[in-house]
Amino acid sequence: MRQPDVYAVASKDIVFESFDGEAVVLDLSTGKYFGFSDSGSGVWQALSSGVSAGALAETGAIASAELTNFIARLLDFGLLAPADTAPNPLPVDLLSQLAAAREPLVVEAHDDLADLIVVDPIHEVEEPLGWPAVKLAN
Amino acid sequence: MRLSVIMPVHNREAFVGAALRSLLRQSTTADLDIIVIDDGSTDSTAAVVRSLASEAPCIRLFQQPNGGVTKARNAGLRQLLPQTRLVSFLDSDDISPAGRFEADLVRFEKDPSLELTYSRMTLVDRLDDETLEPAADSHSITVRGIHLSAGIFARTLVDRIGAFDEDFKQAEDTDYLLRVFESGTRYIMPDTVALYYRRHPGNMTKEADVPFREFMRAIHKSMKRHKADPSLRRVEGIFDFKDLAQWRFL
Repeated sequence: MRQPDVYAVASKDIVFESFDGEAVVLDLSTGKYFGFSDSGSGVWQALSSGVSAGALAETGAIASAELTNFIARLLDFGLLAPADTAPNPLPVDLLSQLAAAREPLVVEAHDDLADLIVVDPIHEVEEPLGWPAVKLAN
Repeated sequence: MRLSVIMPVHNREAFVGAALRSLLRQSTTADLDIIVIDDGSTDSTAAVVRSLASEAPCIRLFQQPNGGVTKARNAGLRQLLPQTRLVSFLDSDDISPAGRFEADLVRFEKDPSLELTYSRMTLVDRLDDETLEPAADSHSITVRGIHLSAGIFARTLVDRIGAFDEDFKQAEDTDYLLRVFESGTRYIMPDTVALYYRRHPGNMTKEADVPFREFMRAIHKSMKRHKADPSLRRVEGIFDFKDLAQWRFL
């Protein structure tokens, strides 16, 4: 059954990594990349790993109106989608990261590196069909 | 104008000779200084390089314990000569096309304020090791990709940009080029084919997981730089490998 406040990464084109607690998200289909404030990084990591919005609000680290707006932006950007799964617990390290955050919840979209991100040969590794012998039929 | 070409190499005995010969064939049209950094090779790479250097004193070989490609590139930067005015790079398994340097060096002669030419590269699955050209039955595609060999960098620019970031195991070249273009340097983008990029089973960039995280790290660092200094340029309209979308890679 669909959980009203549990989300998952919207598609396999949405990929992300975290460096020193700071999240970077790419949309491989559009070439956009997304950066976050410190609190935004923590909330992204929580929501994308199945922590419910309710559990985040209960921490008291984030105002619930602010959280609602932030989630709406992530849905608008196509980074998250509602999930059918049961929520996961909020990991302790994320809780402390959120408690220590100083910046407001922000996600920013950028498209200046789309030329690199949409077609990066480094990442075309799914199937060992040989290079560059196979031209995909469009 | 002295052009120093930096070549890091690790266990590439089968390819490094061809890479160096592709540079040496241009020594009549470019004032070349070839800096080879042998990053702890355990095969006969150093012997191959020494053999060529005995005939071509413009090749300078430096050996160091294996520390990875980023440190090796930095070791190369430290060996630039006082008279080095231009800097480029060639990886030990790639080929510098005949006339590649001459074609772009003339741009620097015409325009003393120019700091960078950023040219195109041809990806090819088979090179003829005699002619150092794509083999007759090879497949190839030419793009303006992300590759240090596409660039000839003015020494002034190289000194200003500084070292390769040793946080990177890979994608140090992507990070470096982003820093260069963000800096607002004066560049042009000639149609010269600056590189034959050899695809073969040992290419480092074909490992799946490490390059992805390192590529993301480059984007993360770029975001942090822009956050700290909003006056940095956005890197748009330079790289163009749309044509690669038509192809599927191993």
